[in-house]
Amino acid sequence: MAILDIHQVSLSFGGLKALQNVNLKIEKGTTHALIGPNGAGKSTLLNVLTGMLKPDDGSVMFDGKPLLNVNSFDINQLGIAKVFQTPAIFPEMTVLQNVTIPVFAARDGSFNLNMFEGRSKQRPLIEFAEQQICELGLEKHMYSLAGSLSRGDKRRLEMAICLANKPRLLLLDEPTAGMARHETEKTIELLNSMQDGITKVIVEHDMNVVFSLAEKISVLAQGQIIAEGTPDEIKGHPKVIEAYLGEAQV
Amino acid sequence: MITQNNFWQHNRTVLIFALVALTMPLWFPLMGGYSGLDTKIMIFCIFVVGFDILLGFTGYLSFGHAAFFGISAYVTGIMLKDFSDNIIPAIIVAVLAATVVAVVIGLLTLKRTGIYFSILTLAFAEMFDSMAMSMLQKWTGGENGLTGMPTPMLFNLKMQGDTVFYFVTFMAIFLFYMAKRIERSPVGLMMKAIKCNQTRLEFTGINARKYKLLAFVISAVYAAIAGALMVVYEPFVGHEFLGWHQSGEVVIMSVIGGVGTLVGPMLGAGFMLYFENVLSVNLGEQWLLVLGAIFMAVVIFMPGGFMEGVARLKKRYFTTVDGE
Amino acid sequence: MDMTLNAFTLSILTGLQLGSIYVLIALGLTLIFGTLGVVNFAHGALYLIAIYLAVSINNALGFGLALIIVPPVLFIIGVLLERGLIQRFYDRPHTDQILVTFGLAIVLQELLKWVFGANNIPFTIPSWGNGIIMMHEYLPFLEGFVVYPKWRMILVVVAIVTVSAVFALLHLTRFGLVIRAGMRDAEMLQFLGVNINRRFMVVFGLGAMIAGIAGVFGGPVTQVSPEVGMQLLVPSFLIVVIGGMGSLGGAVLAGILIGMAQSFTAPYIYINTIIIYLITVIILLVRPRGLLGAKGVFE
Repeated sequence: MAILDIHQVSLSFGGLKALQNVNLKIEKGTTHALIGPNGAGKSTLLNVLTGMLKPDDGSVMFDGKPLLNVNSFDINQLGIAKVFQTPAIFPEMTVLQNVTIPVFAARDGSFNLNMFEGRSKQRPLIEFAEQQICELGLEKHMYSLAGSLSRGDKRRLEMAICLANKPRLLLLDEPTAGMARHETEKTIELLNSMQDGITKVIVEHDMNVVFSLAEKISVLAQGQIIAEGTPDEIKGHPKVIEAYLGEAQV
Repeated sequence: MITQNNFWQHNRTVLIFALVALTMPLWFPLMGGYSGLDTKIMIFCIFVVGFDILLGFTGYLSFGHAAFFGISAYVTGIMLKDFSDNIIPAIIVAVLAATVVAVVIGLLTLKRTGIYFSILTLAFAEMFDSMAMSMLQKWTGGENGLTGMPTPMLFNLKMQGDTVFYFVTFMAIFLFYMAKRIERSPVGLMMKAIKCNQTRLEFTGINARKYKLLAFVISAVYAAIAGALMVVYEPFVGHEFLGWHQSGEVVIMSVIGGVGTLVGPMLGAGFMLYFENVLSVNLGEQWLLVLGAIFMAVVIFMPGGFMEGVARLKKRYFTTVDGE
Repeated sequence: MDMTLNAFTLSILTGLQLGSIYVLIALGLTLIFGTLGVVNFAHGALYLIAIYLAVSINNALGFGLALIIVPPVLFIIGVLLERGLIQRFYDRPHTDQILVTFGLAIVLQELLKWVFGANNIPFTIPSWGNGIIMMHEYLPFLEGFVVYPKWRMILVVVAIVTVSAVFALLHLTRFGLVIRAGMRDAEMLQFLGVNINRRFMVVFGLGAMIAGIAGVFGGPVTQVSPEVGMQLLVPSFLIVVIGGMGSLGGAVLAGILIGMAQSFTAPYIYINTIIIYLITVIILLVRPRGLLGAKGVFE
């Protein structure tokens, strides 16, 4: 069953056609990779999915609900979380505070006037956040400022933030960009160990990561889907090779 | 029993503040402070605590909060003159009026980035200042200001001298406590997250704009209460209550004291008013010059203000003992 | 609006004159913001320094010397400020930049008040600038006897010349090319090996110098007293916002627009005091990026 149904989405920036009639169905529970040469439109597509950009045409359905013209925060409340290229966290707050935020967001929605809610009522949520932090191996940093963490730990923290409000779809924008080999391995491990049931859409350049994680791959080039299939089908696909080689020649 | 313990622990700062504030008439004269100045300091403590909820938590720097201070003051004055000398209806109506204005200004200015916001709030402060001097002269008394108010009454109690001081101080303690509650609540958490990374906050399902507006309105309410109390303290309202100068003073107080700490800005308020009214005897007209220089030095070298200084000293002299 | 051609022409001229000072200050502001990304709350204070310096030299040694000395001195002050203070704040949040320049504005204003006193210092216009121009001699469509103060026309001419010079500098010189490129992407330029630091220094000095020119010619018009700096800063900021932050053309356009608006609403004194705020609110609601501002930038 398709949890994400992207239908005929087009988007132009002035004269540049960033996305042209993109059709993409993401099956529930799968790990789906989105690859393609630079400038293919992968990040643009992610931005459309998270409400940062409005397409000129087309529709996007998430679990049967329309996703366009919805605010970013409402999109998250619907169950979509995004992991950024450069870990997006709250640097001047503690790791615990970082993870508590999504927990409250899940309970209270996008806005709540609970200005006088005391610590005792917050206890269970804080404890849940502590749990999440432990699950991702960050206990010893619980009270450290998020900004002081190493890049790898920041990535873990971001993952914790995303997972804390139980998303159904996780969008990852080049999660291993700029990482050393061993960090990349750790990230793959982390993504593999996540609970089943979470659908993952990963935009990646590192083919090692793609082939380790993806059950299905879609290839985007010049704003269009040029190929789709299992990793094996994509490996030798002539159109894919052409798209990448074409880029290399430039 | 456990809840009882937590109450004293959690509210330690409030209790210390209450103690220091209520005993002010005893120790303040020893420093050269005079009665009346302590009331004014308490009024600005209220103003500045609310302001810190906006600047310290969300990071939005407003140069226009004097608008709410002044609007509330004018409305209070007018209510006392034309409606009733009872301060309660006057304060309520004044704060409501300022809040309505705050919602409108907040909706207009918070959409933009911090820079735009600072410029626009500055402009609004100046706009109200101009309006008070020109088109609203009939009500505000124009350049001369609003005078001729009756002695304010709290029902049957005459609001003069010490009575005013204690009334204001109790309000200050209460409002400080409320601010602390807000800080500890989920709302406070979200507001602080806005300063760190608004985008991430939105992607985590939080409507940052609404929390920004909430912070703005709360701080405006505090400013309005301060403005109303100002009139109870001293029966005069001038157009200078509204402009950039008054707004700027609050900014200076907050920064010197320590943005984001709630307590720091109150210390800043006390310091600035003490400086302006007591120490200036020695410095003469140049007190603002010296204060401005101190302000610049703080922004350049110790942006966390006085509270940062205290934290640094604590680290230096107490960590070796604890071995941290 | 029941207006004769004479009255209309005079209103246009007044609008240009009012706009001239705004444009000169807004130009420096937007140049600095567009290039360095710094919101200079001390810009009004720079104008203040200019008028006090100009009036002192003028009253003692004549206008000619004031004209020669003040702009370069302001340039140097700008450079010193940038090197000594502003550059420490490039990596700091925008709020801190605003705070430090705000503090500077207060310090400079108080300093000048201390040295010169709080009262208005009369700025005597040089004899060649004094008097009136017979407008009806130059504009045949005017009826009868129409005059306009000479100095105010000179101010308009100075503004036109300065704006043209700045545009020429930015569009016709290599330095200008670098600055314009830097306005769009400073980081990129650094990678290309361009010494952006020296450029920043010069641009800040330039912004200050323009304020200096504004001060020399605007002093007699705006009066010389400590409040003038901030009084001009607020409308100038709004003009930058209305024109579009970082857009020089926008600053000029908006400055003229506001000058005209204030001139034409002069008989309606209540509207006159708030017309600039009304226009700002309308622009905010209808076209948030400003008249000529780039889309998405600083929105």
